[in-house]
Amino acid sequence: MQNVDLQKRLEEIEKADGMVPVAEVRELLVAVRELFEGGQAGEVSLGDELSDLAGYINAAKSELRAFADMKLADKEIPDASDQLDAVVKATEAATDQIMDACESMERNNTALRQRLLDVDPPLDPDVLASVDDMLGESQKRLTNIFEACNFQDLTGQRIQKIVSTLRNIEQQVLRMVILFGMKQSGEATTEAVVQERMEEARQAKESGSLENGPQLPGQGLEQDDVDALLAKLL
Amino acid sequence: MAVNKDMKILVIDDFQTMRRIVINLLRQLGFSNTYEAVDGQQAWERIQADRDFDLIVSDWNMPNMTGLELLEKVRAHPDYKELPFIMVTAEGKRENVIMAVEKGVSNYVVKPFNAATLKQKLTRVIGDF
Repeated sequence: MQNVDLQKRLEEIEKADGMVPVAEVRELLVAVRELFEGGQAGEVSLGDELSDLAGYINAAKSELRAFADMKLADKEIPDASDQLDAVVKATEAATDQIMDACESMERNNTALRQRLLDVDPPLDPDVLASVDDMLGESQKRLTNIFEACNFQDLTGQRIQKIVSTLRNIEQQVLRMVILFGMKQSGEATTEAVVQERMEEARQAKESGSLENGPQLPGQGLEQDDVDALLAKLL
Repeated sequence: MAVNKDMKILVIDDFQTMRRIVINLLRQLGFSNTYEAVDGQQAWERIQADRDFDLIVSDWNMPNMTGLELLEKVRAHPDYKELPFIMVTAEGKRENVIMAVEKGVSNYVVKPFNAATLKQKLTRVIGDF
């Protein structure tokens, strides 16, 4: 029984006075069961879809619970977005400590250089030059540490990708909405058509987006590629 | 013409550590007259209030106003359309670079970057120093 017919038949029964024949009730029950279990070969079962969605959500919750066990904050963190914030804040605090230490060392190097220049009588020029070289080398290493601190920004942005877990849930819900909509209009819910509808919805949402964040190794442009492109465009 | 090492630079990024990294590297290159903003909106307000910035160094992905939106505003305003604007961002796709150039970016640095790259990009925009 098609979905439109099912709805019409249910309305008729609601309006009917007196008893409804058993055969008609049986027919309706079969139709409702097919709606959830998929009656035709190749049709998607709504019951299976709901079951898959529940399984996905449970798996995601287990993974997020593992993060909460790491005690990233003073209290347990039940919420996914709170966990993300806590991770970013923790890396930010650590990076601040690293840079505090580097800046302090830079000031010490500068003060040491000046102190050596101020020594009276003056130090041997060769000794001064040698110490200056070593201080220069130390400064380069401090610069390397500042450069390495790029990680905090990049991990902070990458962590946003964890949000895609939540977006996947959104996709699953969208799938369910599409399936129910197709059933309502009496369309055959084959996997191919469902995928097509989901892709249309995805393209409509994502068209024109330029905010993709850090790329995985080998996928984005390296600085040399950017320079080559800029050389052509500027 | 010699580069003015006292030029006024606005560093914009929603991540405080990244602002600190850029400011530290600029200081090591000799540029200490730096200011900060946490997003494009705050930066735009600062640019209009101070009216004397010589260089903008901005992230792309930020809340309230992205670096690209800020760039558009800067280039659309008659007083700032020539203001040097360097994008420092994790957005590394070809279309990002093309879009930024179309909007008038002066140069483009992809994160993670090092001091040598920053110096090279600065030199290209403001001259040798």
